[in-house]
Amino acid sequence: MKQFKTIFKFELLNYIKNKVFVGITIFLVAAIAVVMFFPQIAEFFSSESSDVTEQKPVMLIINKAYDDSDMLKEAFSSAFVDYDVQITNDNIDSVKGLITSETAECAFVIKNSSKYEYYVNNNSLYDENTMVADNVLQNLYRMNVLVENGVSAQEAGKIMNVQIEHSTTSLGKDQTKNFFYTYIMIFALYMVILLYGQMVATNVASEKSSRAMELLITSAKPVNMMFGKIIASCVAGLVQLVAVFGSAFLFYNINHSYWDDNFIMKSIFDIPLNLLFYMLLFFILGFFIYAFLYGAIGSTASKVEDINTSVMPLTFIFIAAFMVVMFSMSSGSVDNILMKVCSYIPFTSPMAMFTRIAMSTVPLYEIIISVVILIASAIGIGVISAKIYRVGVLLYGTPPKIGAILKAIKKS
Amino acid sequence: MKLEIKDIYKNFGNKKVLKGVSLTAESGEAFGLLGRNGAGKTTTIRILMDVFAPESGEVLINGNPIDYDKIRIGYLPEERGLYPKKKIIDQLVYFAELNGLSKHEALKTSDYWLERLKMGEHRNKRLDTLSKGNQQKIQLITALAHNPQVIILDEPFSGLDPVNAMLLKDIVKEEIEKGKIVIFSSHQMNYIEEFCSKIGIINNGEIVLQGNLHDIKRNYIRDRLVVKTEYPEKITEKYGSQCVVNENRELIIKLNSADDKQKIMREITDNFDIDEIKVFEPSLNDIFVQYTSNGEQEENNETV
Repeated sequence: MKQFKTIFKFELLNYIKNKVFVGITIFLVAAIAVVMFFPQIAEFFSSESSDVTEQKPVMLIINKAYDDSDMLKEAFSSAFVDYDVQITNDNIDSVKGLITSETAECAFVIKNSSKYEYYVNNNSLYDENTMVADNVLQNLYRMNVLVENGVSAQEAGKIMNVQIEHSTTSLGKDQTKNFFYTYIMIFALYMVILLYGQMVATNVASEKSSRAMELLITSAKPVNMMFGKIIASCVAGLVQLVAVFGSAFLFYNINHSYWDDNFIMKSIFDIPLNLLFYMLLFFILGFFIYAFLYGAIGSTASKVEDINTSVMPLTFIFIAAFMVVMFSMSSGSVDNILMKVCSYIPFTSPMAMFTRIAMSTVPLYEIIISVVILIASAIGIGVISAKIYRVGVLLYGTPPKIGAILKAIKKS
Repeated sequence: MKLEIKDIYKNFGNKKVLKGVSLTAESGEAFGLLGRNGAGKTTTIRILMDVFAPESGEVLINGNPIDYDKIRIGYLPEERGLYPKKKIIDQLVYFAELNGLSKHEALKTSDYWLERLKMGEHRNKRLDTLSKGNQQKIQLITALAHNPQVIILDEPFSGLDPVNAMLLKDIVKEEIEKGKIVIFSSHQMNYIEEFCSKIGIINNGEIVLQGNLHDIKRNYIRDRLVVKTEYPEKITEKYGSQCVVNENRELIIKLNSADDKQKIMREITDNFDIDEIKVFEPSLNDIFVQYTSNGEQEENNETV
């Protein structure tokens, strides 16, 4: 136990004293600070220059369909509030000239009540003007038909603009609210495990290539080495996560009033406490499973350069798990068969089960089964990894085949 | 204290690396473990240190199975290496703690050994700023700092300059006098001859020779004479095919029988102008080559 503590302390200090580790953490916190304080900063700058009124872009309309141009202008103006809508009598060519010279941004040529042409200089991917214009003209057409059939203009307006009120009450989880924070948490889980897994593998391989291993393996028990290293890196990862998420939460609360009308921001920081607990649980267990394997793989590589190819299969499994979860999340059905299966496989369950808990309603017994499987496999993989480590660290040369390692483990 | 390795067998896959290795080393003496590259020395040491489990056989202390929680072992591996980017004192303390010392003890003993090896000024430097020889001295501290009862030194002298080699010799002698068991593994036979009262030669996973070095040498049939002379031709003329000239330009005369040696010695001193004559005693080098050359001996003898 004393040996484990010594190793744990040494490895943890390695992380905390590491300038890159500290630098990245500070950078992330600073980046979050900038994002969180952005509305305040933006307001500060815009209040200084608020007297400069911005010129609205000009939208030209050539009316060939309606008798009442004012009504048309009014309808377009109220639909395109960001534009300065002008009715023009110029011919099409001169309007085109105005657009290419950027005097006007776009133009509608209304041919008849159900046909128009749209002119714009650079058609952007997000240009929704034609959709809006479709709507405006449809409404005008319907209005006219109603009026022609003896309905008063006022009545027609009412009919056209009838408001429907609705409300949604979610009895389970509300995916519109939990999507964003689940996404962020899964992504954090993914990044931290991948990064730290690689770090553990590199750490072991560099000890091996510097031959410090020769002394380590004779001074300390492999199980202590493995668990000391992994738990230290897990704590370092948690420290980083807490620093980043903690500061985000803090900055959000400082700038609370600025973000109130931002739906995404609001939903991100609206994480239920029990979900944070599950996040922590699945993070730690998932971290252990992968970090142990990364450590074991690191021990079989004899050069640090070999690490990348050696860990590839493991990284692929992890990325595949991430993909399954991400696709299920964006498809909206997190309880599909694949996800259900994945939430019991230790390699995928940290992300899959967590997503299901966050975005749907999972019976408690399913969670317990999944967690028990995870804990058991984490311990099992830990012990096996320590054995691989013991055998692997003393093998130099080409990375051994899996079969050879298994044989060696069986015997030791 | 007596350290015994008893009948150790070890396979790696289908390869039999150790085939019944038995060794005995005692407190207050240095044991020289010799063998060619790949003979099984390092594997023997690793089994002794509980890195590998043997297929069969056991490691005993005073006749009882060794308890690794109680017996401290210090090890200087042949493949040297510590953490290159770490402060020297930090890693010395770390390794001493791993070997069971408290933080306070670890710091104290590390500082003592840094001074003892005249490395005090480097205490707070990074390891990779030191020269190779100095790095080796730091590594030596990791083998000695936790005051181990058994010290295993694998090629301790390689890379040391003569002054540092002298320093290390003094330290090793001190440790032997303190009653430690010192196990030496080296290819530099002169050091083994200097320190080790006992040797064991391992070849292809088997002990081919073990015992007191002095006895081993005395047990050789004393049927060869070494003659130093300015005029070897005349002697060769007389003894003809029995003569060989070695690399030191000494004449080696093989006698028909060890009983003849007094007679022949007198004959030579009476009849020829010589500087020196003595009975040939094999050097450790010769013994080593004889026991480990596996049929390559013929070629080797010709070059001697």
